[in-house]
Formats: sequence, structure tokens, C-alpha cells
Amino acid sequence: MRLSGLTLVAGLALACGLAQAGDTAFAVRPTALKEKPYTDAKTLDNLAQNAKVEIIGRHGSWDKVKIGDETGWVKMLSLRLGEAAQKTGDSGFKTLFNVASTGGSGGTMTTGVRGLSEEKLNNPHPDPQALEDMHRLAVSKDEAQRFARAGNLAAGKMDYLPAPAK
Amino acid sequence: MKSKIATAILLSSLVLPASAFDLNLDSIKGALQQVKTATEDVPEPKEIEIGGGVASNLLGAAPLVKNAAVQKYVNDVGRWLALQTERPDLPWQFAVLDDDDVNAFAAPGGYVFITKGLLMHMKSESELAGVLAHEISHVLRKHHLNAIRKGARTDLMVEFGSEVAKQKGASQSLIKLANAGTQLYARGLDKEDEFEADRMGVVIAARAGYDPYGLPAVLQTLQSLNAKDSKLALMFKTHPAPADRLGQLDQLMTGRFDSFEGHPDLTSRFQAVMNGK
Repeated sequence: MRLSGLTLVAGLALACGLAQAGDTAFAVRPTALKEKPYTDAKTLDNLAQNAKVEIIGRHGSWDKVKIGDETGWVKMLSLRLGEAAQKTGDSGFKTLFNVASTGGSGGTMTTGVRGLSEEKLNNPHPDPQALEDMHRLAVSKDEAQRFARAGNLAAGKMDYLPAPAK
Repeated sequence: MKSKIATAILLSSLVLPASAFDLNLDSIKGALQQVKTATEDVPEPKEIEIGGGVASNLLGAAPLVKNAAVQKYVNDVGRWLALQTERPDLPWQFAVLDDDDVNAFAAPGGYVFITKGLLMHMKSESELAGVLAHEISHVLRKHHLNAIRKGARTDLMVEFGSEVAKQKGASQSLIKLANAGTQLYARGLDKEDEFEADRMGVVIAARAGYDPYGLPAVLQTLQSLNAKDSKLALMFKTHPAPADRLGQLDQLMTGRFDSFEGHPDLTSRFQAVMNGK
């Protein structure tokens, strides 16, 4: 595959939804239900450990949850999804990628051995042309810095975290 | 290890001139470097060579997504993250593989891959950054390189270490090592390597100015998916359970990362690229 053959397929995907919307979760510790997704926002309620909630959205490190008639925000890491979670769907972009990859309408397409199956990884065949294409996709430091500025991303310092005590 | 070193010295002496009179400082130095390659540090150019071989194999299993804008975007995010690390000058390269499996891979020397299947489950640039930073961490800590080296026969590493990189095509020893590195993806790394990459990944994302909760958010999404789905089978087989990974990040991040609460997650930029706008 030549890089020049890469095509941009535009504007075909639906806006994405939330992958986890509607999932039930439980609190791993007593935790505050906040009115807004901020630590200093008003506390609406206090959830007990193991309290069950329904996740209906997410903002940064916060999950928007429904518990009974009440909705509010809980720290994401205070929640774990329950056993009941059974979803196979995804959040969107399907149309874009399906059309881009198959040129078809996104219908079922069976190809026998799937791409990244263990069998294929255990019996590898190189693709040097694709590797060359990948080399050409790399961006420079300058490009990356311009990209960061455009997104208002400011670099900062922080040490790596030690392994937690077992 | 001692026996490995002894074997390496013995083998490298075989490739040196037979007569003791022919020995010179350069050949002794060369022999020592070969032993070093087999037993300790793989020099960076050799690391990149192995990574290229592994990357070529991965691309043989799943092609690149044919969308230049998406590929450029993933490279922009990844390169910016890599600049915040101790190895900013590696030839970092990122790619989206056209495969429905939910997975991501790193290969030695700065090669990072994410599948279309995983990308489609993400909602923001900070989530993409979290996953790429996890993979970047594997490269920084040489997790795959060390696993390949540990599994390889010493004479193979000696042979590879003594070769000058070919202009075109791969040597037999490179092919063998690259194949071993590719097979490693079917077995997975040590679980502790995965936990370490999680711990480092959230810090690299924070250094790059992102909302550092992108990686935990993706782990929560993975937790919400049906574990019986065949698209998740390999990833779940080769990684610790999402609940355990979230447990570690919960322990480490709670309290420490509050000041990053307002950092951008760049949902709109992510959505615009994915929707082809």
C-alpha cells in the first residue's frame, strides 16, 4: 500500500455516544455525590460503600451517575462496574472506518482468520512496504509542539509514581 | 547468567581470527560488545532494528487504516507525549491498525500501534493519550526488548550484535528475533510490566498537559464491555484485569492528581478528526 493511496474519508461517522452509558456500577468506598464534576462543588448526598449507581455520562475524572431519582457526579476511581455489564457495542466512528477499510456499506464481511489472531502473531509475515508507509507518517518534534500549542497543552514536570506497597 | 556469558565469550572467540597473533584491540573490543549485546544492553540502533522487524510483522497481520488525517493525528499526540519522556529522540512512530480487535502494541525502539477497534471505543484525546502513554512506557522501560533477549539463545544475540545492519532486507538473526518479538504479543508481557506502564502512562499524560484520567477512563470502558467478546479475548488474556489495573491507579492517583482536574481532555478535537471534519 502506497502512502499516496491513503484517502481521507470525511464526514460519514455519527457523533459518538458514551460507551459506558447505562452501565451499573458500585462504590468501592463511601463517596460524595457532587452537584458538578469538581471537588469543591456542592455535595448532594453521600453514597455508602457498595451503593449501586447507573453511569450516564463522564467528564474528565468524574462519572455522571443516577441513583434513584437523584443525579450527580462521583469520582470515576471510586466506582467499579458490576458483573452485570454486558455490552458489545462501541462508541461510534463505525461508519467512517468501515467505509475507509472495506469500501463497502459496513455489512458483514467474513475473512476467515482474523487479523491480529494468535495464529497470525505466531506465524508472522513481514510487510516492509507498510513499514515504509509508517515511517512516512511520523511527525517531527516541531510539528508535535505546534499541535500541542493549538490544543492549549502546556508541558509540566512530574515524577513517576512508585509501585504501591503490596 | 554466568553460563550465558561464558557461552557468549566462547562463541564470539570463534568468530575472531584463530591465531592469537592476529588479535588486536579492535577485535577484542568487538567481541566484548557482542557479549554485552547478548547479556546486558542492546545498543539503541540494534533496538530500533529489532523494533522495525517486529513492526513489519504486525503490519503483515493487520494493515494501516487508510485515513491520513487519523494517522497524522495519532502521530501528533504520540510524539508530543514522547517529548515529555527520558527518550525524546527515539524515532517515535505511531499507527492505527485496520483491525476490529481491541488492543494496542509497542515494539522496541519507538514503534506504537493502536487498533481501530480500540480507537472506536474512545471519546477524547486524553483517552487516546492515556493509551499511547502506556505503550510509550513499555518502550522506555524496554519491556519487550528484555523479554525477547531473555527468550533468545545467546548465540543468536551474539550473531545479531556482530552484524552490520543491511541496507535492504533483514538478516536471518534479525528475522528470528523479530518473529520471537511478534509471538510475544500472543503470550503477553509480565503482568508487573503492565502495571508499571499504567503508573508511568498517567504521569506522562499529565506532563504533556492532558487530563491524566484518560487511561483510567479507557480501562473503565473496557470493564463495561462483554469479556466474552472475541474482539477482546487477546487483550484480556495478555493483560491484568481492568478492575485490578483501576485498583492500582485508584491507590496511586487519588489525592495526587487533584490539581490536574481542569486539564484539557480535548474531546472536540478528537471527535472532529474521527468524524472526518
